[in-house]
Amino acid sequence: MQQNKPLISISNLQVSVGDKQLLSDVSFDLCEGEMLCIVGESGAGKSTLVKALQGMMPAHCDRFTYARSSTEVCGAIPAGLGLAQARWVMQDPLAALNPRQSLGRSIAESLHKENLPKDKLRKRVLSALDDVELSADFYDRLPSQVSLGQAQRACLARALIAQPKLIFFDEPLSALDALVQKKIAQRMESLRRATNTTYIAVTHDLGFAAAYADKVLLLREGAVSAYQSRMAFFANPQSDYAKDLVAAAQSLGALPEAAA
Amino acid sequence: MSLSQSIRLSDSPPADPLRQFSKRVGVATLVLLGLWSLALWLTPYQPAAADFLNRLAPPSAAHWAGTDHLGRDIATRLLYGAGWSLGLSLAISLTGFVVGTVVGILAARSGPAGDFAVMRVTDSFFAFPELIAAVTFAGLFGPSTTNLVIALMVVSWMKFARLARALTLSLGDSDFITQARLNGLSNGLILWRHLLPNILPSLLVLWTNSWSRTILSVSGLSFLGFGVQPPSAEWGAMLLDGKAYMQTAPHIMIFPGLAVLLAVMVINLTGDRLRDLMAGKT
Repeated sequence: MQQNKPLISISNLQVSVGDKQLLSDVSFDLCEGEMLCIVGESGAGKSTLVKALQGMMPAHCDRFTYARSSTEVCGAIPAGLGLAQARWVMQDPLAALNPRQSLGRSIAESLHKENLPKDKLRKRVLSALDDVELSADFYDRLPSQVSLGQAQRACLARALIAQPKLIFFDEPLSALDALVQKKIAQRMESLRRATNTTYIAVTHDLGFAAAYADKVLLLREGAVSAYQSRMAFFANPQSDYAKDLVAAAQSLGALPEAAA
Repeated sequence: MSLSQSIRLSDSPPADPLRQFSKRVGVATLVLLGLWSLALWLTPYQPAAADFLNRLAPPSAAHWAGTDHLGRDIATRLLYGAGWSLGLSLAISLTGFVVGTVVGILAARSGPAGDFAVMRVTDSFFAFPELIAAVTFAGLFGPSTTNLVIALMVVSWMKFARLARALTLSLGDSDFITQARLNGLSNGLILWRHLLPNILPSLLVLWTNSWSRTILSVSGLSFLGFGVQPPSAEWGAMLLDGKAYMQTAPHIMIFPGLAVLLAVMVINLTGDRLRDLMAGKT
């Protein structure tokens, strides 16, 4: 990455609901155009972290800065903090799209706050569809009238159209089959490079992290088990748990050669 | 690109079956309404015009469904009766639909305490069976069309409230509504664009069911004398007129009975089809 402007930085994030501590002492920082993969088993707190960062969970931290704004937060992260410019691509595209709304209108809602005139909005949506390689006639289709991969691409377009600085991905590929996974992963990657957007992706798939991540954050039972650059994580994992995980992925052949 | 995918991309999208079906039902309704008005305009008889020379006449070319004990043309009375039987029950069930849906959505969106209060009131209304409520109302205030409509309206909305509440709750934290919220849509817009379009089909199925049941209630209560009063040509009241002549002139009862049967069946089958279409979608 040539660009090295820091985008988001957080230290000692704590999330608890009632007496239950869901996340403790999570820290990371990311620059513009970087991709962070959050990995870990189910229930480790991956999705909780994403929700906390979007202000959908009560969370506290020692320090939180976003986009070099003056909003340096200490304490509770308020809902809808500077992350208003962030977008979120979810795991199941069919659940994330209103089944009774056309793809075009769903995508257009991402620009709701900009109050664009109709023809301008339509143009933006069509160019966003084009960015994810969907033709213009997908504008009027319902989610039930497209394939799962096409629906996920529409969700990607919905995130990209707002030109966010940060996009969260919550297992964006796991509902798709391998061929579509590869296509969408490559599309995500080329768009990230073209737009210099920062990605935070929750994933189970170490292969995906090995192929695309700049940094890897491994969570286990709500705590950080490893936080390393991709190279370091796969060559020399920080913790025993991370070592086991990487070894397991290698033995399954899930990692590309370069990372092994 | 694989072959199947290129075919998929070049094809026009498969039509939305729900939308297609609504169009068809809309056209069919308009055609039926047109035919009905035409028939009302063409018929040479008045629904209340007695003709004592032609009492209890069997079906013939002049009287397609025969005449009743006062010599009134039954076919004409059936046409006018459609306005009573179908129209009243339509108004009652639509009221229940609208009121119940509003109550249900409000309950689901008003927090645990409000939800609890509203749904307990709903439950207490459920305690009154339709027929008993209507009969009690008629007993207290006298049998009349107005009292029948009021009584049936009062007990018509609870099912809609329950269903609307359940659907709203289950959709409330769905991913696409979260997305809409993150995109900054107001509650009103979320309701209008995201909630209603997704809960209305199920509520419509319930409404068809409610409409056909209300037809039975209106005509049933009128037959018992609690509802629409003779000489109005309501189908249930016509059945009551014919009861005394069941042995000698069964056609007086058969035709109104068939009319009720047909109306209820058509509405129920339409609702069933709608339900099947929805099941196929999800």
